[in-house]
Amino acid sequence: MKKFLAVMLAMIMVLSLVVSASASSLAGTYDITVWVAEKAVDLTKQQIADFNASNDAGIVFNATVEAVSEADSATNMITDVEAGGDIFCFAQDQFARLVQAGALAKLGTKAAETVKADNDAGTVAAATSGDVIYAYPLTSDNGYFMYYDKSVIPEEDVDSLEKLIADCEKAQKYFSMELQTSAWYLASFFFATGCVSEWETDEAGQFISVRDTFNSPEGLIAAKGMKKLVDSPMHLSSSQASEFASGAAVVVTGTWAYEDIAKILGDNMGVTDLPSFEVDGTEYHLGSYNGCKLMGVKPQVDAAKAAALHRLAQYLTGEKCQMERFETLSWGPSNLVDQASEKVQANPGLAALIAQAPYSVPQGQIHGSWWDIAKVIGDDVKAAADEAGLQTALDNYYDKIASLFTLSDDVKFGWTIIGTCNLTDGFFYTDYNNEARSTWTDDLPLVKGEDGIWKTEKAYPMEAGVEFKVRQGLSWDNAFPADNFKVEEAGTYFVQFNEATGEVTLVAE
Amino acid sequence: MKTYSDLEFLKLSKGEKFLYKLGSFFCAIPRGIKHLILGIGRGIGKAGQTVGREIKDIVSTFISGDWKTKLSFLVMGFGCLARGQILRGLLFLLFEAVFIGYMVLTGGYWLSMLPSLGKVGPTEAYDEIFDTYVTTYNDNSFKILLYGVLTLFFIVAFVYTWRQNVKQNKMAEKILASGKKLKSGREDLRSLVDDQFHKTLLALPMTGILVFTVLPIVFMVLVAFTNYDGTHDGYYNNLFSWVGMTNFNTMLSWKVTGGAGTQSYAATFGEVLTWTLIWAFFATFTNYFLGMFVAMAINKKGIHFKKGWRTILVLTIAIPQFISLLYVSKMFAKNGIVNGFLMSMGWIQEALPFWDNPTWARISVILINIWIGIPYLMLIATGILMNIPADLYESARIDGANAWQQYRKITLPYMLFITGPYLLTSFTSNMNNFNVIYLLTGGAPTNPAASSAAGTVGYTDLLITWLFKITTGAESQYYLASVVGILVFIVVALISLVVYNVLPSIKNEEDFQ
Amino acid sequence: MSEKSMLGQSHDAPMKRHMGLRASRLAANTAIYVVLIVISIIWLIPFICILLQSFRVESTWQVGYVIPQKWGLDNYYNLFKTDFPKWYVNTFITALITAALQTVIVLCMSYTLSRFRFKMRKALMRFMLILGMFPGMLTMIILYRVLKDLGMTQANSVPGLILVYVASSGMGYYVSKGFFDTIPKSLDEAARVDGATRFQVLKKIILPLSKPIVIYTVLTAFMGPWGDFVFARYIAFGSSAGMNVAVGLFNWLNKDQINSYYTMFCAGGVLVAVPVTVLFLCLQKYYVEGVTGGAVKG
Repeated sequence: MKKFLAVMLAMIMVLSLVVSASASSLAGTYDITVWVAEKAVDLTKQQIADFNASNDAGIVFNATVEAVSEADSATNMITDVEAGGDIFCFAQDQFARLVQAGALAKLGTKAAETVKADNDAGTVAAATSGDVIYAYPLTSDNGYFMYYDKSVIPEEDVDSLEKLIADCEKAQKYFSMELQTSAWYLASFFFATGCVSEWETDEAGQFISVRDTFNSPEGLIAAKGMKKLVDSPMHLSSSQASEFASGAAVVVTGTWAYEDIAKILGDNMGVTDLPSFEVDGTEYHLGSYNGCKLMGVKPQVDAAKAAALHRLAQYLTGEKCQMERFETLSWGPSNLVDQASEKVQANPGLAALIAQAPYSVPQGQIHGSWWDIAKVIGDDVKAAADEAGLQTALDNYYDKIASLFTLSDDVKFGWTIIGTCNLTDGFFYTDYNNEARSTWTDDLPLVKGEDGIWKTEKAYPMEAGVEFKVRQGLSWDNAFPADNFKVEEAGTYFVQFNEATGEVTLVAE
Repeated sequence: MKTYSDLEFLKLSKGEKFLYKLGSFFCAIPRGIKHLILGIGRGIGKAGQTVGREIKDIVSTFISGDWKTKLSFLVMGFGCLARGQILRGLLFLLFEAVFIGYMVLTGGYWLSMLPSLGKVGPTEAYDEIFDTYVTTYNDNSFKILLYGVLTLFFIVAFVYTWRQNVKQNKMAEKILASGKKLKSGREDLRSLVDDQFHKTLLALPMTGILVFTVLPIVFMVLVAFTNYDGTHDGYYNNLFSWVGMTNFNTMLSWKVTGGAGTQSYAATFGEVLTWTLIWAFFATFTNYFLGMFVAMAINKKGIHFKKGWRTILVLTIAIPQFISLLYVSKMFAKNGIVNGFLMSMGWIQEALPFWDNPTWARISVILINIWIGIPYLMLIATGILMNIPADLYESARIDGANAWQQYRKITLPYMLFITGPYLLTSFTSNMNNFNVIYLLTGGAPTNPAASSAAGTVGYTDLLITWLFKITTGAESQYYLASVVGILVFIVVALISLVVYNVLPSIKNEEDFQ
Repeated sequence: MSEKSMLGQSHDAPMKRHMGLRASRLAANTAIYVVLIVISIIWLIPFICILLQSFRVESTWQVGYVIPQKWGLDNYYNLFKTDFPKWYVNTFITALITAALQTVIVLCMSYTLSRFRFKMRKALMRFMLILGMFPGMLTMIILYRVLKDLGMTQANSVPGLILVYVASSGMGYYVSKGFFDTIPKSLDEAARVDGATRFQVLKKIILPLSKPIVIYTVLTAFMGPWGDFVFARYIAFGSSAGMNVAVGLFNWLNKDQINSYYTMFCAGGVLVAVPVTVLFLCLQKYYVEGVTGGAVKG
């Protein structure tokens, strides 16, 4: 009954698609929800109204704009994708989580090309998983630098972490850098000594590899530098602008805090790149992340609505809207044309970001769990009694990172079969209605023979119509054949796979 | 262990008495567990017998019943209708119709999908005309599990109702055979406000509890046996499926997997549980005794403005905790006003690490909890203290007892006797005191060894806040949170079981009336 | 509440001890006054601070001092430019309806369990006791889905919240059952002998005696929704129109909003606290009678 209904529904949908497709028009009124940061609500309403008035396709959006923090977008979307915003903004670090959760729709070919051409490379990489672009760059200013109180910190001390700490301790003022609760900020010390944490994702947002050198001699130097700051009684783990109003002389934070700090400190506000720290006679300039904010479109069941939404998202992240956002909110644009404009170049907050730029690292894709794993380094470093303690902290960190990829080499490089089959009792099935049969969930390992050909250990009875793929390392990166292998004739077969040619064959028993 | 008779016991010294009591308490635990297991065994045996009896009764009803009764086995309520009990008959019939309608329309589908929790996940297709991607959503594991369980509930309800229907027929035949009259619909209705009044009163509350408490808990328990998490949400990305005992093995394993941090989940669970128990103990008893003392102080003769003092104290009850606790948390921050005040007075040189040092943080939350908890206790104690007969004190005073002795011999025993059950419930609710920890520290400071991909764990985290963090962590491991939830239940249940067997005032419910 | 002495006083104490007793009592009372004053100060400081913050107009973020440099009502005035009034009304409606319905449910439940002796009674109580030991945190995921299917989430959260609060309130019958247990059973037995139905017994005899526990139940039910920032946040996620005050104010503490909204958060907090506190203080007497009548039985 249910199935029949589903089939009917699908047919109706296909029909309606054909009908609307033949019209090939996006014209119509769409009720949508848009999630943006609280500050951008009014501007976004205005921009959607502008879009309604100016677009040539006859699209009218009846939009509800809700204030949802960009830092919480992923958590909110994962609560229930269906009830989430049709278009939503989020900070870059949540990208992979959102892709994995099925909360982001892929961009069409044209849209993807436009995004690539118009935005700076770092932000495009931030919106890409595998080779697929999933989101529209919104800003390119998610980095951090240093604000300080000129009445406490002499100008000549701002380049040295040690001098800054000494000044703060002397004046009984706080040095505020969020090292104990945020991996984003504490990575600064590791980048200073040349450590990297580079991650790679596949098309589905799954992480497939990492190159992480935090646990290294350089990492130990970074930890020593960090210890200088976290051990100071005047260190405060925070990135809030308001710390200046409660006893801080230095706060490491980003462009978003500029206006608030300007209000608090007035003429005493100093803005500059991060300082350097010294270990064993060598100076290391603190690094930083160079990140961005993105705008995503939720997956849609209706093609016309999807296309219309993508148009809107493209408009909202286009040259004009980014410039408006810069002018009203001081958000640094990711659009190359906007970036080159004089106004943007002259903005003092962004200028500090630019000064910090040589030491910054594009954020790219980072495993969602990394933020939790890495953020404890700050507490670990603080608790460490000596160099050995610091090393243990890094060792622990490394173990946790490694555990995110628990594949042994045998599994990583081995080949397996996966498909419409139940492998537990060795029978291949096409009977989808049989409850006990799970399909496309379990892998059957192949064994490498003397001749280098991979083969199943025994022959399996297969019905006609069974489909499967052979893949490596339980991942879809290397899977053959490109279209599923189909069994044409029922029989009992060995499955054979030639690694060199990628050829899959059946051998009758 | 040697057991003493009453007389021997009285001869013992104080220390020996205490040790003896303690010893016999622990000796009683294995016996208690044995009784529990035997009890469960007996319960199962009894249940088996009951089922057997019921089936026998049903069969005999069918064989010996008349045609009205026999037809009632198929068409519920037919017997009632045929014998003139229209209201009952219609209700039975209606229930059967609704049940069959539901099972045919959707119930059957949910039930059939329950073993697999769905087969086809969402699919994505490229639409060339609009140059865009379109998603088709298919099976929904979450709904299958939810409505599957609901359908099972419904089936149980149906079987029960059907059994009632059969019983009704048997009883009706008996009554008619003895020449009496059956109850009319009007009489049925009247009994609902009289001898069956409890059913009327309980109907609404129990329905609510069934749907909004029991069903969710059953669902939550079942989640522990699946792989439901952020990347297997059952509809929008991947379906989830049954995984058996895997999650329990993960949580209870002492093996360091890395997934749990640099220590095993079992070790982390042990640490968090230990702190949870320490916290619950101190939170309960500091509040209990301090609240009692404050109540006694305010109630003392010669103290004026009694109402005023109480009013000031109960402000913490009246003002929502998310406002007051968040502010208090900020007050004690490194650069908060408490440290600022102490430093400006020159009493300290460096800020005190109220939230930064594990031990400091743990003591701080216990102390601040007193601020929240004393008022409740003060209110309760005020009322109870008033009920202590004044002549008890009088005679004590004539015997020359000082204030402390009076407290030890009269006030405390009286309070303990009456508030025993309250102490237990406040202990268990302190174990699950989410608000105080979440709003004050959020679990901080972090415990690096225990923090992992499943979320950070802090030194002040209780099991309940840990569970919350697991669900909101980067991987949203609901299945693991569910396992923790079940373990919390087991711990609380064990504690309650032990305490209930020691407490006198619960067993004798009627004594109070 | 009567202000009679708790510890009792002996008026026929020997005269010669009288003077010494008086001196020592004076000393004891002075000590108690000192302690009470210190406690009161500790108890009041946070609330006074919040109140002072809400009148601070020279800046909107957190600061390191307590006394505002410039006083004003701007924060209260600005609240009305946000969705705050909407949240306030949402919460008020939720609290009002919840209080009414929850009281009915809890009283039905507790009265039945206290007064009737029926077959499944003990089993039922044990079952609910066990049920209460499960941490409810995770169940909000399921409750969300159930409410979503009923169309009661996000912008329509108010009925959804009421439904969940009321539906699960039967579990909290302990205190009022304890209270009913203290009313002598002989009263209803006498009435039953006179031919009154169970319903009439409840209406004519028990309810008039139950004023404290009814008010206690109403009061606790009314206060609950004002502080719910976890479950309500989950149900109303991403929709300002469906939030209650707790969720709305809590969201203002987000990193990107706190600096512009902190003093307004305090002002909002004061406005939330006022009605609840006033109500509580007015009905404190009944609250105490209810809680002492009931809580002692757990």
